[in-house]
Amino acid sequence: MLYIQLLVDGLVTGCAVGLVALSFSYFYATTGIFHVAHAGIYTLSGYIALHFVKLGLPFVAALAIAIAVAAGVGAFIQVTLYARLEKRGASPLVKMIASIGVLTVLQNIVALTFTPNILQFDLPWRISLVHVFGIGLSIPQLILLIVSPLILFAMLAFSRWTPLGKRIRAVASNPELAETTQLHPERIFIYVIAIASGLVAVPAVLVGVDQAMQPYTSLLVLLTAIIAMIAGGIGSMGGAFVMSILLAVIQSVSVMLVSGRWSIALVFAVFIVFILWRPEGLFRRNFNRQI
Amino acid sequence: MLKPRIGGLIAAALISAYASTALAQETLKVGALLPLTGPAAPIGLEQQQGVQFAVDLANAQGGVNGKPIELVLDDSQGKPDQAVLAFNRMADLDQVPALITAFSSISLAIAPLATRREILVMNPAAQTDKLADASEFLINTIPLVNAESQVMTKYAFEHIGKTASLLYENAAAGIAGRDDFRNHFEALGGKVIAEEPVEFGQTNYRAALLKINASKPDFVYIAITQSHETMADQVGQIEGFPVAVGNTFSRPFFGYPSTEGWYQSAIQSNNPETRTLEAFKAKYGTKGMGFFAREYFNATNIVIEAAKALSAEGKELSGVNLRDTVLKIKTFKSPIAEITFHTSTALRPVEIQQYVKGTRKVIEVATPVAQ
Repeated sequence: MLYIQLLVDGLVTGCAVGLVALSFSYFYATTGIFHVAHAGIYTLSGYIALHFVKLGLPFVAALAIAIAVAAGVGAFIQVTLYARLEKRGASPLVKMIASIGVLTVLQNIVALTFTPNILQFDLPWRISLVHVFGIGLSIPQLILLIVSPLILFAMLAFSRWTPLGKRIRAVASNPELAETTQLHPERIFIYVIAIASGLVAVPAVLVGVDQAMQPYTSLLVLLTAIIAMIAGGIGSMGGAFVMSILLAVIQSVSVMLVSGRWSIALVFAVFIVFILWRPEGLFRRNFNRQI
Repeated sequence: MLKPRIGGLIAAALISAYASTALAQETLKVGALLPLTGPAAPIGLEQQQGVQFAVDLANAQGGVNGKPIELVLDDSQGKPDQAVLAFNRMADLDQVPALITAFSSISLAIAPLATRREILVMNPAAQTDKLADASEFLINTIPLVNAESQVMTKYAFEHIGKTASLLYENAAAGIAGRDDFRNHFEALGGKVIAEEPVEFGQTNYRAALLKINASKPDFVYIAITQSHETMADQVGQIEGFPVAVGNTFSRPFFGYPSTEGWYQSAIQSNNPETRTLEAFKAKYGTKGMGFFAREYFNATNIVIEAAKALSAEGKELSGVNLRDTVLKIKTFKSPIAEITFHTSTALRPVEIQQYVKGTRKVIEVATPVAQ
């Protein structure tokens, strides 16, 4: 039973990381920008929801506002920073360094506005346990477990069957051609970052409700998500999501076999072995952008 | 040959006269090297309030030497490498003779520099045992983990159980806590049956807690410095989690249904007199004066008291003189604590507290044996 509990905990963590990986991957595969500031948007959206819950708004409304604010901030970053850098012919490295700068700014804005203290949501239901087949899950964990795969399938469906999803895929596969065929990549990039930023608000808020929030810890979440994205196959949302779950489960269950201090090292070891065995990632995708 | 010699003598006389005037008018500069940004910032900002409040209060009363004390703040970001850079800035640009530090890893990183630059470093909160002899210029106003652990372990062995599992923060203070607990507990005849590290600032403890719970000890020793509230929540989600014991940093565990009956050791640290406490609350808009604010306030006052004593004797406010004066005064009494320096590390009474029905019940008070 202990192993099953650890496995389920890993599964929940993996779902949260999976949404971060999926959203990061979606933007990266489309634009080629290593959007480290995604971690800053993750942080910001959690605190936005906390703020509105404190003001007395229902949790669902606070979550919706957090998603909207995250999408807006993402679009703002694209318009004011990435698009301008692109016009000036900045290399991917320059864009990544600029993104790190945005991350630092966002984290410090959060720390200055909300305090750098570890904060928790004042929601009585957040620590209540629900038992599913004898396994105890907190309500936010249960929501994550249900909502995350739904978001994955919704994103896959959106990408495959909606006109906007198809346009985004077209831009991702060949930006130059998209430019000449009037697909307006610069506009598409704004949509993509808004979607990715709105998506990342979901795990940010739910993990914040389940555990706690601090302005400076989201980078580690993003790092795990990036590993999952690479191992899953860059450009594959499903691959990033599945690998996130796999890595999180390994990390959680490995605690029973080795000391917790080795669990992150174990994740990296699995990643290295995996990438040596299958360098293109779990799900092969044509990804020809300069990294 | 004669002219340069006379010139040299005149120059020396002028420099000497200038130096003595400068000495008489010397301003005390106190540095505070604290984690003002990064994951440790919540603690650093409380520490800053304590230092700032002490300096403001002293300045309102005339400062030292009739001159206001100058506070030089710098941000260590909670990182030893940044702390070393900040230390050098303080030493080279501001030429502080004394500074207040925070966190074990940072204090250990700057200790050799303190020795080399002869700058007094006051440590009011870091507790790793290595700080005892890290530098002859490092003074610890708080007993180290070993001393506190000695008292807690004895109580736990005699009254709680003979088998323990350890949950500790994988950083200097947590590791020292783990080692000291293990050493004292096993020396008494107790048995450590499991141990598990967690990372600083972590908020998901479920896997570690499940592992510790599965080891079925009589009690769990917990040595973490952050995220207690989150851990308390997650302990509450694990059925039958054993009773836990902690140290001074375990204070935030108090007040949760899941931590009812838990124990902690605590360095005796009281509130200042009512007027000071009220002034602090009014200034910072807080409900009280937290542990770190109290300890940093008190440690800054110790430096100021030493500086005043030096000033009265007409001596230079140097790091060497400040250190020697603190150790010479030896006992510093305040409502917060009575601190005695038999060595460069203070000896202070340690309380064993238990969380009982919404109160911290003091069960025992003991002063650790100096080792």
